[in-house]
Amino acid sequence: MTTYDERASLSDLTTTADRVRRSVESVIEGKPEVVRLSLTVLLAEGHLLIEDVPGVGKTMLAKALARSLDCSVRRIQFTPDLLPSDITGVSVYDQQRREFEFKPGAIFAQIVIGDEINRASPKTQSALLESMEERQVTVDGRTYELPGPFMVVATQNPVEMEGTYPLPEAQRDRFMARVSMGYPSPEAELRMLDAHAGFSPLDDLQPVAHAHEIVKLIDAVRTVHVADSVRRYAVDLVTATRHHPELRLGASPRATLHLVRAAKAAAALAGRDFALPDDVRSLAAAVLAHRLLPTAQAQLNRRTAEQIVLDILQRTPLPDPFGQQPPGARRL
Amino acid sequence: MNGRVRSAVCGALATLGAACAMLPLVDRTSWLLQAALLLTIQSAVGVVARRVPLAAPLTVALQAVTALLLLTVVFAHEQAVGGVLPGPDVFHAFDQLLRESLDDIGRYAIPAPATLALRLLLVGGVLLVGLVVDALAATYRSAAPAGLPLLALYSIGAGLAKGGSDWLWFLPAAAGYLLLLLAEGHERLSGWGRVFGGGQRPAEDGPAAIGAGRGPGPLRTGHRIGALVLGIAVVAPAVLPSIGGGLLQPRGRGDGPGGSGGTISAVNPLVSLQNSLNQPENREVLRYRVAPQGGQDLYLRIVSLDQFDGASWRASERRITNVPMPMLPAPTGLAPEVRADPVGMSVAAADGYAQNYLPMPYPAQSVGKLTGQWRYEPEGRTLVGDHGQTTRGLRYEVSVLRVQPTAAQLAAAPAPPEALLREYTKVPDNVPAVVARTAREVTAGAANAYDQAVRLQDFFAMNGGFRYDTEVRSGNGHDAIARFLEEKRGFCVHFSFSMAAMARTLGIPARVAVGFTPGSPQTDGSMSVGSKDAHAWPELYFEGAGWTRFEPTPSRGTQPGYTVAQAPTVPDPGAPVPAPSRRSVPSAAPSADPACPPEQRKLTGCSGAVSRASSAGTGGSTSPLTVAGFALAALAALALPLLPMLWRIRARARRLGGARSPGEPAARTLAAWRELTDSAWDYGIPPDDSRTPRMAADRIVATGRLQGPAAEAAGRVATAVERTLYAPHPRPAEGLAGDVELVRAGLHASAAPGARLRARLAPRSAARLVRAAGRRWSEACDALRSGRAGRAWRRAGAALRGIAAPRGTGRRG
Repeated sequence: MTTYDERASLSDLTTTADRVRRSVESVIEGKPEVVRLSLTVLLAEGHLLIEDVPGVGKTMLAKALARSLDCSVRRIQFTPDLLPSDITGVSVYDQQRREFEFKPGAIFAQIVIGDEINRASPKTQSALLESMEERQVTVDGRTYELPGPFMVVATQNPVEMEGTYPLPEAQRDRFMARVSMGYPSPEAELRMLDAHAGFSPLDDLQPVAHAHEIVKLIDAVRTVHVADSVRRYAVDLVTATRHHPELRLGASPRATLHLVRAAKAAAALAGRDFALPDDVRSLAAAVLAHRLLPTAQAQLNRRTAEQIVLDILQRTPLPDPFGQQPPGARRL
Repeated sequence: MNGRVRSAVCGALATLGAACAMLPLVDRTSWLLQAALLLTIQSAVGVVARRVPLAAPLTVALQAVTALLLLTVVFAHEQAVGGVLPGPDVFHAFDQLLRESLDDIGRYAIPAPATLALRLLLVGGVLLVGLVVDALAATYRSAAPAGLPLLALYSIGAGLAKGGSDWLWFLPAAAGYLLLLLAEGHERLSGWGRVFGGGQRPAEDGPAAIGAGRGPGPLRTGHRIGALVLGIAVVAPAVLPSIGGGLLQPRGRGDGPGGSGGTISAVNPLVSLQNSLNQPENREVLRYRVAPQGGQDLYLRIVSLDQFDGASWRASERRITNVPMPMLPAPTGLAPEVRADPVGMSVAAADGYAQNYLPMPYPAQSVGKLTGQWRYEPEGRTLVGDHGQTTRGLRYEVSVLRVQPTAAQLAAAPAPPEALLREYTKVPDNVPAVVARTAREVTAGAANAYDQAVRLQDFFAMNGGFRYDTEVRSGNGHDAIARFLEEKRGFCVHFSFSMAAMARTLGIPARVAVGFTPGSPQTDGSMSVGSKDAHAWPELYFEGAGWTRFEPTPSRGTQPGYTVAQAPTVPDPGAPVPAPSRRSVPSAAPSADPACPPEQRKLTGCSGAVSRASSAGTGGSTSPLTVAGFALAALAALALPLLPMLWRIRARARRLGGARSPGEPAARTLAAWRELTDSAWDYGIPPDDSRTPRMAADRIVATGRLQGPAAEAAGRVATAVERTLYAPHPRPAEGLAGDVELVRAGLHASAAPGARLRARLAPRSAARLVRAAGRRWSEACDALRSGRAGRAWRRAGAALRGIAAPRGTGRRG
């Protein structure tokens, strides 16, 4: 139920989110949708996968987001020889105290930047599974809680690139959304040349929001109302991926959960305390596409998962305003 | 069954359905079975040829050859080579049969006997139409134009059948065509994949049916539209006021091949005489003016029926010649001592009266100022229109002889010439004995033929207890006269037929004349003849006086002075016609009105006569009920195009009606949204269910080129709808009606003048009205089908079908 206080925090949310957005956008030129989506994922307690060819600013986006927030940031450069213990941490025997002491790995931070995540072997990638989903790490039978907020921002090169391993399905499913940077427009690239001429713009970046503020905002997002019809619409969309003839693997129930949470965050970012089918639609491709496996035939036809999601969006009926009107209303 | 086979089958069925309209034309139905069998073979050949596949023209040619072989085997196998192959003899035989069939068409009234020639014509015609339909629908895959040959086939039957075609024959013809269209549509759709058959029935709805469309599928909707259109086509003409055909329609046909030769075909002008008499209104067909001394009792004769087959009277086939000028030959049997005064009259036929016999009194001496192609039939002394010539709007002058024999002259008439006596006293053997017996009984003790004739007339008109009744069926059977003598109810046809038949049994030459009674005198001195004045009367031959009119029909026309025993002398034509005990004033009324004596009728006219006279000038009398019907129909016709606009105004008022709008705030918001999207629809932006309110509003703003306040208003309404639908606690939105009006004004401002006019007068969103009606109809049908009422309805339908089947085959004549 929306109370006065929560509504107030919702307006706080837009203000704070605006600050973060402007801060990130000062580094990432001409990609407002990508920045907005990153913020949405942050507020929806998800993890973000940034996929694109090298050199388009994936890492820059991840770092800019991390630096704009006043929270602990760790960066992991995934390489083929990276070990799982490098990520989760390792128990080391302390000679003096004669006991094993846990040395936390790189995952123990609020924002974890996994750079070129698909260059590590699947074994190492799998080390992220527990921490991403349950926000905890279990080593040698002991479980360690991760600090909140916790967000993994991973970048990856397309799988066709040399020296990459594709992410396992389970791993991909744990990312709330995948976003592609795309090449900047010529104007944005020109501005970038100016900005990057003498120094890195990241150096100037100051945190504009505290971690506890972000936690509060995340709590505010949780209160956003999702009407039955919108939930049903989200379920219909995800269900449609499971029956689509061009898909070998549809989206999981976790995808539904992510979709609705992302929609709530998007609604909150727009200053609304309720989600719309429009929110679901605008996020469907980012949230669903990376979880889907097109059939061989679809791949031969050069059909991408994004195209298939757009196709599903076209086919799935929207909630009918006049079919769900409140009881007592007359059909006009 | 693949699409082309289905089209071929449906084409054959459609052809047979249209051919059903010709069933009433002949008295047997077996030809249709024959046609069905041959058509099936012809269509099957087409199916096989298309499967081979042969080129389209080759397929058609193969089917045509098949049809020729089939016709040869059935109709001319004796002349065929090996009983199958058509040689020159076969074509000669076909030519002969076709000529005969054309003669038969002219010779017989409907229903004609199914002679071999007529069967060939019918079966061949059906095969030819079937070939064209099959070629269009199956070979060239274009079913819609196949309606034209089907229509031609149907029109022949509908045009020739008695009183127009029965609606019953329209049903198979139209249903066949719809079936053909359906088959083509089905084939076209199936090319895109499986044809969607619509939502499941409620009874089958289960968890599996979630998400399945609940509305009617396109197929079912198509069926319903077809059935609805068919129903309207059948019902609408029945409820609309119309003027029937009757004698106003052209009947019969002059068939002169040119020059002075040729014959006049046998037609039956009585076909619709009863219909004319039963018309609700009396429409003027003729108006004539007679010289002052001419009197007002001249009957206008159209044709004489001189052939009695025991059941009915028909006109013989006679030779026709050019009209002798300047005078027609002298009438048969008129002796110089019988008084015969020439009387001139000018006649004007109404524009709506198209008869191909020239109405004129008997015997005419000369016809003047006659335009058009007319020919003369000497025996009946009638003028016949040639090459489709009719009386429509014709003006002409006739000089006739007003023959006034005395009773004494008739009584003393010598025997008629042998040839005439032989021809005009022919009575077939199948005439029931009661006819001759009654004739003898009635005329027992009569001294001569004249006396017999007068007694016969009096028997029918006065003392036989007969009653005039136009509702009685004319009856065609051999016992029709006997039945009439027993029931003693009938109209002029019964009276004239019976008296003429009885006169023949007594050896008096007799025939029946068909035409009009003199009509009603008008204030300007002319006489107006209406459709209700149509009449038939017997003409008996007396040597010296020629063919002499008698009037056996009670309460109709006038009895000639020479048949009235009390009339010792012939009245002076110039003096007013005396009115003794008998009515001697021409009357158009089917029965005498006791409150209106003949004198008053003649001098001042009764109310009925006055109204008839006054309305005659305006083209026919019309009852107030008809006027009201016409007015209502006109109003409905005017209001119908305005219906969408009126509905739209009312819907807008209801949706935006402030205090009177639906009570719930949510409902008010949704109503405003509906109004907004419908307004956009009216201006050419149709609603799109695949857009959310926000997207829809954006589209309306973009497509409708809305700017400023109008664009903002559209956004506000969309936001209000979102809040209503998805917010946990929607706040009531205010001022939505004003916002909708703003958007409307914006749309109006940016639209072209034509679009503005259309949005106002013929709003597109009125389509909702049709959809709602369709939905309700579908719901009602579903309820009816599933409920107890549905079962009762189906049972009743099955029972009706059971009743209709035998009636359907028996509806002829």
